[in-house]
Amino acid sequence: MRTVILSMIFALVFAQPSMASDQSEVKDIVERNIKIVIDYVKDKGLDKQTRNQKIIDTVVPFFDFDFMAKVCLGKEQWNALNDADQKKFTDLFVKRLQESYLEKLDLYTDEQVVVDTAKKVKSRIYVVTYLVSKGDRMEMIYKFKESGNEWKVYDLEILGVSMVLTYRSQFAGFLKSNSMDDLMKKLEQKGSFAVPTGEKK
Amino acid sequence: MQSDSNGPNTKVAGLNGNKHSASGKKPENDDELDEFEAEFEAAKQEVSDPLEGYNRAMTTFNDRLYLWVLVPVAKGYSAVLPEAPRRGVRHFFHNLLYPLRFVNNLLQFKIKNAGEETLRFVTNTTIGILGFWDPAKEWFGLRPHDEDFGQTLGFYGVGAGPHIVLPFFGPSNLRDTFSMVPDNFLDPVGQAKPIGQTDSYVAEYGVRGFDAVNEASLRPGEYESLKKDAVDFYPFLRDSYEQMRNKQIKE
Repeated sequence: MRTVILSMIFALVFAQPSMASDQSEVKDIVERNIKIVIDYVKDKGLDKQTRNQKIIDTVVPFFDFDFMAKVCLGKEQWNALNDADQKKFTDLFVKRLQESYLEKLDLYTDEQVVVDTAKKVKSRIYVVTYLVSKGDRMEMIYKFKESGNEWKVYDLEILGVSMVLTYRSQFAGFLKSNSMDDLMKKLEQKGSFAVPTGEKK
Repeated sequence: MQSDSNGPNTKVAGLNGNKHSASGKKPENDDELDEFEAEFEAAKQEVSDPLEGYNRAMTTFNDRLYLWVLVPVAKGYSAVLPEAPRRGVRHFFHNLLYPLRFVNNLLQFKIKNAGEETLRFVTNTTIGILGFWDPAKEWFGLRPHDEDFGQTLGFYGVGAGPHIVLPFFGPSNLRDTFSMVPDNFLDPVGQAKPIGQTDSYVAEYGVRGFDAVNEASLRPGEYESLKKDAVDFYPFLRDSYEQMRNKQIKE
């Protein structure tokens, strides 16, 4: 009984504030980095290559890209690869993710990002943000996991659509009728998945 | 007080922790991967897709229609009309759908939301000049509560059914396709007929086409960018649609 009471006291005294501080810490990471990225995007003095590099340098520390590659491919396929192929897949996939992220930023015009709440979901923290443009509001959730005392993004949910889930099902579907080599080749060809339209206003 | 009865460090033990020791590959990461594998498997929504062949063909048809017809027309249109009035047109069409949102909010017992929708409609139709502007949100912070009949059916537990890609409208499923009938009934555009021509759909399709062009003009490059991200575009669109709808139904 004593231990139960003691542990309850511990839970109340220590756990609660530490949970809260984790949440506010993660929320703070999101707020800070979004601001830095938007400042780079708005900075017309930077040439695009420098800008993109600076943005990637900002984003990389709080995204667990390697883990995303693994979980998007799925455990079974991942474990079937040898070390060299695991690295090759990760490099290709991460490069694509980053390129697509940078491309999305090119669509940026007047939007504002509002960081709403950080909520604890089991051992993860979801940070809910809204991309607000004239009249529109789009919900984006950054999902964080803790690994080695660091909180990092492992999935991004836009309007309820999980990035990891859609990649998992695309990869699984593709690999049903194609080989891993085919997938690597597809990933190597930039923008080959669709008719490239290039032009935008 | 504390809603989360689990301690902060509660972790699901990796049940399959030793499964891969035989393969000799980085066993130190397997616990975490196992845990997330289970999490994503649980979150996965199996989409029923017996019509995949037809759906893929229709996705290609819609894709060509969008890129070859809608985008060029939208480009010309946005060259003529500045962005602000185009946003006004979007607001106007959104405001027209008030009866649909009102009824479906009520059907889901979202009484407060139905009331807010009514306030929005009254405010935007008057002060907002026939809905071309959204003072209800800008001034009074009243956000729209989009609900349609598909969401209402989902609210009452009706499943999505097979995925169906509709010509012109894009991804849908059996439940949402069926729901277009009552939704159309509550949509003034669906009832639009030239005077004296009660069996003509020309006016309705004309207005819908205009709405589509206007919408495309406000989202330049978005579709193209999404398409480039996809490994396989059809399942990407299909899963995105079903995930998005499930989220809308849950809200």
